[in-house]
Amino acid sequence: MVSLPIEERLAFQGSMLRLLAERSTEADVRRVMETDAGYDPDVWKALAEIGAVGLLVDPEYGGAGAGPLELELVMEAVGAALLCSPLLTSGVLAAGLLQALGDAEANARLLPGIADGSRIATAALTGSAGTWTPDGVAVRARADGEAWGLEGQASFVTHGQIADVLLVAAVEADGISVFEVDPTAGGVAVKPLPVFDHTLRLAQISFEAAPARLVGKQHAGWNAVEEALGLARVALAGEQAGGGRRVLEFTVDYAKNRIQFGRSIGSYQAIKHMAADLLVESESATSAARHAAAQLAAGAPDAKSAVELAAFACADAFVKICADAIQMHGGIAFTWNHPAHLYLRRARADAQLFGAPAFHRERYVAELEAAHG
Amino acid sequence: MADDAALPVTDDSLREEVRAWLAANWTGPLQSEAERKAWVAKVIEARWAVPRWPTEWMGRGLSDAQARVVEREFAAVGAPGTGQDRTNLWANTLLARGTQALKEKLIVPLLRGDVGMCLLYSEPGAGSDLAGVRTRADRQDDHFVVNGQKVWTSYAAAADYGMLIARTDWDVPKHRGISFFFLPMEQPGVEVRPLRQITGESQFNEVFFTDAVCPAENLLGELGQGWGVLQTALAYERSAMGEGARGPRSGVSEGPGEPLIALAREAGVLSDPLIRQEIARVIALKKLNALNTARAKADLKQGTTSALMSLGKLAMSRILHEEARVRTLILGAGSVLEGPDHPRAEDANFLTLNAYFTSIGGGTDQIQRNIIGERVLGLPKEPEVDRDIPFREVRTS
Repeated sequence: MVSLPIEERLAFQGSMLRLLAERSTEADVRRVMETDAGYDPDVWKALAEIGAVGLLVDPEYGGAGAGPLELELVMEAVGAALLCSPLLTSGVLAAGLLQALGDAEANARLLPGIADGSRIATAALTGSAGTWTPDGVAVRARADGEAWGLEGQASFVTHGQIADVLLVAAVEADGISVFEVDPTAGGVAVKPLPVFDHTLRLAQISFEAAPARLVGKQHAGWNAVEEALGLARVALAGEQAGGGRRVLEFTVDYAKNRIQFGRSIGSYQAIKHMAADLLVESESATSAARHAAAQLAAGAPDAKSAVELAAFACADAFVKICADAIQMHGGIAFTWNHPAHLYLRRARADAQLFGAPAFHRERYVAELEAAHG
Repeated sequence: MADDAALPVTDDSLREEVRAWLAANWTGPLQSEAERKAWVAKVIEARWAVPRWPTEWMGRGLSDAQARVVEREFAAVGAPGTGQDRTNLWANTLLARGTQALKEKLIVPLLRGDVGMCLLYSEPGAGSDLAGVRTRADRQDDHFVVNGQKVWTSYAAAADYGMLIARTDWDVPKHRGISFFFLPMEQPGVEVRPLRQITGESQFNEVFFTDAVCPAENLLGELGQGWGVLQTALAYERSAMGEGARGPRSGVSEGPGEPLIALAREAGVLSDPLIRQEIARVIALKKLNALNTARAKADLKQGTTSALMSLGKLAMSRILHEEARVRTLILGAGSVLEGPDHPRAEDANFLTLNAYFTSIGGGTDQIQRNIIGERVLGLPKEPEVDRDIPFREVRTS
């Protein structure tokens, strides 16, 4: 994996933070999350213009050619601002999957549009089991001469309802391959799912003899999927670390300013000690996310275990910070108008996407067993 | 000579000088305690023991960066004895705040390690609230008379002096009536009793004072300014610390790799999904703490102070308690046993109890959370009802 020079990375981070500060305020989030599309096309265009959407895409296809380090930084800012967008879906998961598959023809045809934001792609990788594992794939592929047809169902497809391109993991004779599907083609039915996190869009997609085009090599699909999921998990970890840090910040501010019994509630140990514990959670999440990005970027031998660690540590930390933050605020955070629940909703969704914490803990132990014999 | 002394010491010339001296003098490794003492004496004589200190006290007045050059050269050949200006709590405290007479008497013996020392801070009634000490020191002619009790004192039986905080003024608020002494321990008025810990070990003592005598020249800092001296001493203590917590004590190895994985494999429960989840949690806590520490160090290098530094102790408490819990979970009923035939149970049970060493000692987790909340997050302190009233009127248990 590649990394940008540090000055470019910081300059990029600066423009990202400015854009989010101006265009992804709480009011923006509340407005956009109530729309069907679930993202603001103008902001999406702006994100593409500063290079965020094509961040990971090879410069050959019009992207910035950056790697996990830049991605993680961007996602910390995205998490803090609770940005509503298909950035993770199209720019990370789908772009990452295409690049991992290494199909030159498909890359040349799809990546430039993904990088400039004119095309939104998503990846349909799991069935209604929602495991993001090979045995969770519930779509089957059948060869019909040169052509392929898909049968079955994919679920939890992020931003499936707004995608122009579907990359679908499907089981065929003796392995998993990835197929490109046009969501408007006959035999494809996209059904939006009602999601607890209103800032996220998920869809269930059914395939009935749906025309599909093989991307990359046959049977090599799941390795590429794992590679793309690795990037997506680092991105999520960054989002969780950034989101958690923001929630802790506004919670500590509130604890300083909210007066009860004649003094700020933050002076009471009942609140102060919760805040101290959450600081440990928040800083640990940040360390875990950045470490995973660094190891992945360096191609380190422990990159896999670093990603697994970040996946469950950041997921659990974000949920805990948001949950405790509501308790620390008291009644005000029980109201719809307070932002704390928006973050808790995001945290609970993020904790399940691409594998739940218990799944990652299991894989973490397995990695350590393998490393130490 | 005078001309030479006026020249600034460059890192290169300093490095050359240390190397030449080590080449001429270091024949290590040291084989005995006697050899070690002789070596340290030589290092002190050659002014390498405390290079940051002023020349009148065996030092060279070097900057921290220059002293690190000296330390690196010593470390390169494996020679001990330098860097005491960072690590010798007793000598540093004495140099900073002691009387001329006491310095002349004790500085060199302290550097040589010829003087046994202990800490006389905590009391049964002054644990987290250290400024609430009730051991009293009353001036009589040329000395102070000390009465009271201290607790959690390591090495008290072998100590020649104890660094003591005692109350010398009961009519001012608590922080302002404390004084700091080097109390001679070898006298009839000082009684040391070993304290048995919940682990069955005795690392600590109680120390009782009955009309113990302390010469006036052994007062550090001004009378009533002992709280400030204590802060100096605590800062040296913290900078000298940094060793991790103790591991299992059975000494029976669990084999290579992650200890908990090895333990679970040995116990035949490594395939239990619940156990695997718990193992992952504990290993993750350790790894996250290590990552936080690494990030804190990187922050420090860039010149920014790091909030992360203060989180380590609290994180370590949790790690130790959690590790003990999961070891117990892995062993199941086997954890009820003890004795040399049951080393795994010994380890789990010892770690269960010894985890409190970290979560209570050196500031309880609760005090640590106050510190993080107040100094890192900027939350207001609780009102302190005893802060501005004469200590005599402060409520006690």
